[in-house]
Amino acid sequence: MKTFDLRVKQLLDGDLSLADLPPELRAEGEEALRLLAAVDRTAVTLSPALDTRVMAVVRRHAKSPVGRAWRWLNTPRDVELRLRVRPWAVWAGALAAAAALALLLGRAVPAPVPGVQARGGTRDSVFVRFVLYAPGARRVAVAGTFNQWDRGAALLAPAGTSGVWTTTLALPVGQHQYAFVVDGARWVVDPSAPAVDDGFGRRNSVVAVTAEGAHL
Amino acid sequence: MGVLLGLEGEATDAEVVRAVLAGDVERYAVLVRRYRDRFARYAARMLGSRDVAEDAVQDALVRAFDRLADCREPDKFGGWLFLILRNRCFAERRRNRREGRLPEDAAEALASPERSDGAMERREQARELELALGQLTPEQREAFVLKHVAGMPYEEIAQRTGATVASLKMRMHRAYDRLRELMKEYR
Repeated sequence: MKTFDLRVKQLLDGDLSLADLPPELRAEGEEALRLLAAVDRTAVTLSPALDTRVMAVVRRHAKSPVGRAWRWLNTPRDVELRLRVRPWAVWAGALAAAAALALLLGRAVPAPVPGVQARGGTRDSVFVRFVLYAPGARRVAVAGTFNQWDRGAALLAPAGTSGVWTTTLALPVGQHQYAFVVDGARWVVDPSAPAVDDGFGRRNSVVAVTAEGAHL
Repeated sequence: MGVLLGLEGEATDAEVVRAVLAGDVERYAVLVRRYRDRFARYAARMLGSRDVAEDAVQDALVRAFDRLADCREPDKFGGWLFLILRNRCFAERRRNRREGRLPEDAAEALASPERSDGAMERREQARELELALGQLTPEQREAFVLKHVAGMPYEEIAQRTGATVASLKMRMHRAYDRLRELMKEYR
């Protein structure tokens, strides 16, 4: 196969102009530009009936009991709790929390696993440590099914200037999908954890949390 | 009506997504109108047929509605919808390849009698290029379509597709060589 010279490819990329090419490459450059001249850039207009068709299907899906139940279960909601308590109840609660914390810290620490690491926790949740090497990042967060994919809910802290970012979260027992969010915009899968397709072309990392710890 | 149009124009994607999730299904029409033609050219050039592209856009819009609660960033609904459409286009191309559908069919389907803006020769070249694009891998074709049909810089393509700029350039440079070879075969 006869390939284009790299400089001709740069011409096609728009990084060089025809005048930048040496005389012996001009003909090849012109041939390459003829290729681009054949590109059809005309706008494509879809049938006006498309909107009606889409909305008809959407309305049908919205009415379907299965679809409604799925959306209800899957839609994140803000929940506001208002409590009226007597002062003695606050003190009792604080004492109970302190006792729980003492019990928690007294438990044996399970062996860590690579990628995310687990330690301690309650009967229903386990502390999981998330670690990402992201040198040059200004902000790193972890978002997942455990925090409704909120990019601001769980920030990682930099470990000095090493480029390593970490945080520890108490995750409920179960399987969780997650991804790191670097600088508020870039979604990054955990390189040390298995990943699954989210159905939309992106990958989510997966961690399974049991009472014994986190498993990748 | 004027008031409705005004509201529609001002509503952000995130506001519309939240309204739909809260149960106002009819508001989804705003997103349908906003995006139906925006990605039409991408789908048509990826699939080589306006009719197939229309089916793909329709499916993508319905699938986006069904999975709206999974949209992590409602303010970037357009980018998310693009990923759904992209998956649909790739799946369609894989299916075409499995079923042995000839790319010529697609090129003929895309060519329309209204396109009388150029000479016969220019139209023939465009048809040849369309046929050649049909021979590229889906990834190469996508890179070419986004760069040279949609006119996106590499950085924007990288943002949309999740590929790095370096890998996109490599993909594109291979596409240039393959297109050169194919265009010579057609002449």
